[in-house]
Parts: sequence; structure tokens; C-alpha cells
Amino acid sequence: MSGQDLLGKKLSRRTVIKAAAAAGALQLTGPFIISARGEQPVKIGLDNPLTGTYAAVGKNELIGCQLAIEQINAKGGIVGRPVELIVEDSTSGDAGTAVQKARKLIERDHVNFLLGNVNSALALAMADVSSEKKVLHVVPGGHTDAVTGATCHWNVFRICNTTQMEANAVTPSLIKNAGKKWYYITPDYAFGHTLQAGLEKACAKAGGTKLGADLTPLGTTDFSSYLIKAQAAKPDVIIFLTQGDDMVNALKQAVQFGLDKRFHLAGAQQELEPLEGLPPEARIGTWVFEWYWNQPNVPHVKEFVAAIKKKTGRVPTARTWFGFASTWSCALGANSAKSLEAVKIAKAMQGMKLPPEVALMPDTPYFRAGQNQLIPNLYVGHAQAKGPAGPDDLFHVDQVVKGPDIAGTLEESGCKMTWPA
Amino acid sequence: MSALRQQVPNAVVWLVLLTMPYWMGAVGGYTELASRVVVLGLAAMALNFLLGFTGVLSFGHAAYFGLGAYGVGMTIKYLVPSTPLGILVGAAVGTLAAMVIGALIVKLRGVYFAMVTIAFGQVFFFIAFRWNEVTGGDDGLTGWKRQALDLGFTRVDILGSDKAFYYLVLAVFAACVAAMALLLRSPFGRTLIAIRENERRARFLGIPVEQHIWLSFVISCFFVSIAGTLYALLSNFTDPRALRWDQSGNFVIMAVLGGMRSFWGPLIGAAIFVVLQDYVSSQTENWMSVIGVFFMLVVLFFPRGVLGILRRRLAS
Repeated sequence: MSGQDLLGKKLSRRTVIKAAAAAGALQLTGPFIISARGEQPVKIGLDNPLTGTYAAVGKNELIGCQLAIEQINAKGGIVGRPVELIVEDSTSGDAGTAVQKARKLIERDHVNFLLGNVNSALALAMADVSSEKKVLHVVPGGHTDAVTGATCHWNVFRICNTTQMEANAVTPSLIKNAGKKWYYITPDYAFGHTLQAGLEKACAKAGGTKLGADLTPLGTTDFSSYLIKAQAAKPDVIIFLTQGDDMVNALKQAVQFGLDKRFHLAGAQQELEPLEGLPPEARIGTWVFEWYWNQPNVPHVKEFVAAIKKKTGRVPTARTWFGFASTWSCALGANSAKSLEAVKIAKAMQGMKLPPEVALMPDTPYFRAGQNQLIPNLYVGHAQAKGPAGPDDLFHVDQVVKGPDIAGTLEESGCKMTWPA
Repeated sequence: MSALRQQVPNAVVWLVLLTMPYWMGAVGGYTELASRVVVLGLAAMALNFLLGFTGVLSFGHAAYFGLGAYGVGMTIKYLVPSTPLGILVGAAVGTLAAMVIGALIVKLRGVYFAMVTIAFGQVFFFIAFRWNEVTGGDDGLTGWKRQALDLGFTRVDILGSDKAFYYLVLAVFAACVAAMALLLRSPFGRTLIAIRENERRARFLGIPVEQHIWLSFVISCFFVSIAGTLYALLSNFTDPRALRWDQSGNFVIMAVLGGMRSFWGPLIGAAIFVVLQDYVSSQTENWMSVIGVFFMLVVLFFPRGVLGILRRRLAS
């Protein structure tokens, strides 16, 4: 075959195909031409799990963010500019990926706000990045104390409760309903460690004791060896601190083993997503919810539930509210600072109260100054197989606990905030 | 003339690497992505020193990569806030571990060697995962940052300036790659290739095969642990996944994707892997399946990797 032939015949067709493919690929890459500043939308980057153990809760936070973005844009945007949400999958447990995505959102997309993460460890790692880059960061649902405690940052705010607040809220009910000898099944990362430590502290104060504890790696599917150890210790309560799919697997297996007949199965943080994933007979135990959709006498809740139902066909969960409230907090902070500068917004958010249409709970939640932690209500109650308000009513609120009563003092949080000069 | 032609690929690679931070933004990338390509490229090339040029498959290289990462992180966090010292410590820790483990496993061949490297890798993974007080466990090692370089006459701020850090990475990369190229051209390197081609014949020729494989393993791990230190410095962060078996698998994928018979192949493979991962994971949550399918296509249809196809085209 002559070279002429090769060039003339074979290459021409291939070249066309390749050029077409290249042109197609070009369409996929986003345009990176910066248009005039005034028209450019304000960008909020969400770096949250969409895959793995926390996929379900992460997606619900995303839905909450999306609803908030629609509402913010309908009400005039942030400092008069439209708002845009950019979403990245952080995975459920890979902090390296979460850090990489956070840097990508800040470096390439130049986001004005960073949101995330469900996983406490990932939230801590992301907070390191956001504070290094001085980007305002709201953590919707990563509970470990350190986020607004020992390693707090001036630019990092949090919507969900600290693990110590959850432990303080639920312990009196647990001791009263279930007993004083506790055995813990705890996920082996930041969230589990601090939640267990918080419960141990609250439990000891109330006269209870710890019989034992097992650390389970995130993403564990077979809990049988831990459950066998737990029942051998003969506790009053087996405390499940796992979350997401790990919670579903652990509780399901405990009920299959018949442990619910012999012990009280309970825990601290519980959410609607795992309860939905459980068979009815495993929807048991005393827990704390951080937000619940069935609050008949609280203003604006009904509208919020209806809006989310219209979007997804399901009721909102605490996670939907976390996403919603964190996105709104960005807008409220920036609009009251009349600026997109992170330092000015963070200053404006010290002590900022959430308005009722964002708060969606009885008492007005506020960001505690000097710690950047939202102090909301907590809902202590028990899981139920089927509730009076329909198939989504899987939790019965026994008591609404006021945040300030269980939040401890600012000194106890361990947060010593330093502001940039 | 032919010598000049041989230098063309090298010149192209260096030109691309030297200018990368300046055009990355125009094609939708960012400087840190460029640094990531170079760092993982170094890791894949280091693995390929063993895989492609000695013919020994290690599935546990992430262990030494991660030891480098933890070495630099823990040095800066607990001992001395100095980036160069951290890199040296990280590389030393990774290499020492490789010396000991290499001596234990060097008699094994083929799949047995690969299995045992995975097993040793997982030992380090579980130590990092479980030792919460020191390594931070599953949360990763946080609370430290790469420190500005003090060159005596000037200070280079590699923390604030991504470009400065990129060129630090590139300088280290260049030194490592040059060392590997020199080693491969030396009689030692030729002997490694002889072992790869026919181990039994090499043994009959009187070559101490075990020593050579051990040395090749240690050299490969030395460079991979340097890549690990750079990787940790890039994110100011490391976690146990940096030394888990799937990270080792990623290095093998990069080497095979690019072409493990060629010197630059693994770098190309790493570039494709990193950019594809970065890009696809923003488009769809099922990004891992896209990468998986792409890898299967390459293995099925282009067993010599991307660079292998290019070579064949140029040769015909």
C-alpha cells in the first residue's frame, strides 16, 4: 500500500470521524469565557455524597438545596444576582476525593460558597480547604463536635447539631425508657467517636454505665459478630450509632437475631431515610430526630412539605431541611452583609436568626456567635412501624427539646475562633 | 538524524509539562489538576519500573505511596514544619519498608508475588485506619500544611501559589524520571530487561536474579513513596485510602492504560485516568462505571496501551 493511498483514502474517513468526535467532545466541556460581572451568577458549590452509604441522605440534602435556590432566585437572588448550584459527588467515605472536589469547586468554578459534607470526617477535611482558601463554608449535616468545636474556623458554619447536643437531648429519655447499662455499636470515624464519647459523658452524669463498645468500619454490611458480642455483654440497651445504609443493615440484622425481644434497641441520631429502608418490625427504639416533617402547628412547614412532595413525591427529611437551611443561610448572610466577601458575610452571620419560613421549627434557631453553630430544636421520640399521618409517619415525637438547654456553653465547645487580620 | 528523531517525543512531553499550568485553564482544567497528573504519573512510572522493565507485578505499591504521604504529613505536623525534610522522611520511611518487605517476598513469582504485596499493603492500611490517635484513622491526617520553601536567598510560597507548587512537583518529577531513565540505560537496567524477557536464561548466565528483583522493587518503591509525599502535599491531607489495595490497582490501571512497555506510557495513562475521573465525576454519579468500561475497552482492544497504538501507527 502506498503512502499516497493511505493518506488519500484511509485517513480521510477517519479524520472526519475523529473531527466529529472531537467536535462532539468540545460541546461537553463547559464554556469558560467570563462574561460581564453583573450578569454572572453567584455560585454555590455542593460537595456531598451521591454514592455509597450516605447516597440517600446526600441526595435529600441536594433536593433541599435545589428548592432553596429556586426560592432565592424568585425573591431576587443574592445581592441582586441570580444563584447557581454546582454539584460534585464527594463519595460517602473517601476524604481524599472530597478534598479534591472542594479544591476543584474553589479553583476552577470559583464558587462563592461551599456546602458539605454529610460525613463528619469529610466535613472536617473540607473545612481545612475552605479556611485555607477563605471561602464561606456551610456544613449542612456533618455532626462531629470538632467542626464548630476544637477545630472551628471563622468561615465554617453548621446547620445540624453537634454530637454532644444529640447525646444530651436523648440520654434522659433513654435512661428512663430503656435502662442504665449500655453497649455501643459505633461507626469508626469522627462522627461515631464523638457521638459515643458524648453519650458516655451524658450517660455517666445520669448514673448509667458502659458495658462495652465496638467500632465498625464505615460501609460494614455484616454486623453479626458485633451483635453476638453485644448480646453476650447482657446490656439493657444496645446503642446503634451507625448511620445511613449501615443503620439499616445493623438494625435489620439485630431484629432477625431476635435481639429486640431481649434488649432495648435504640440510639441517638435517627433519620427518616434509614427508617424508610427498614422492614416495619425493625422500626423500633428511642431516638432523636433533628427535624420532622409532621409538625402540624408550626408555620410554613406545610408549604415546605408540599413543595418537596411536588418535586420528589416524598416527604422531606431532616436532610432536606439541612440542605434547604444551609443554602438559605448563605443568601441571608450575604444579603444582610450586602457583599460577597467571605469575612463580611461571616461577621454578619454571627448570631444571625433564621426567619420562620427557613427555620420551620417552633423556636427561632440562631447561629451562636463565636462558634458558628446553629442552635435549633431537637425532636426526641420513638420510631413506629406505621403512624396516623400516613405511610411516611415513621417517627413519633414525644418531646421537643430546646437547643439552648442542651448546647452547653461556648467555652465547653472548645472553639477558639481567630479572624483573618 | 535518527537520534534527533528519538528525542522528539521527549521534547514534546517536557514542553507539554512545562507549559501545562498556562493552558490548563483554557481547556477546562485547573492548576491542581495538572499537579495531580504529574504526581500520579510519577507513581505510575515508578510502578512501571518494576512492572514494565523487570516484569514483576506488584499490587501493593499504594502501601509505599501512603507511607510517603503519612511520612511527610506526620513530619510536618508532629516534628518539624519543613517541606523538604518531610519529603525526605516520607521517602525514607517508604523505602525502608520496601527493603524489609522486598527481602521477604522476592523469591515469589507471578500471582503469588502480587497476592503477598496486596497482603502487606493491607497491613499498612489497617494500621493507618485503626490507629486513631496518631494517624487520625478513617478521618485522615488533617491540621497540617505544606510549608514555604526556604532556599537561602529567597522564600518560595508553595502554599499560596498553585503554580509555584506545580513547578516544585515538576522539578522533583524531572529528577526522579531522569534517575529512572539513567538506571534503565545502565548495565543494571539492561539486566532487569533480560530478567523480564527470560528469567531462567538470566539465571543460567550467572545473574543474581533475586538481588536484582529486590533492588528493582526497592528503587520502584522509593520513587512511588516520593510521589506519595507530593500527593499528600498537594491536598495538605492524607487518609488511609492512599495506601489501600484499590489505590495500588489504580496505579496498575494507569500503567496498563498508557502502555507498560514504554517509558512515558504510564504518564499518559495517569493523565487519561485523572482527567477522565475529574471530568466524568462532575457529570454523573456513576463515573466509576465509565472509567471501568474505558479500561476494559483498552485492555481488550489495545493491550499495549495508548502509547502502544501510537507507536504502531508511527512505525507502519
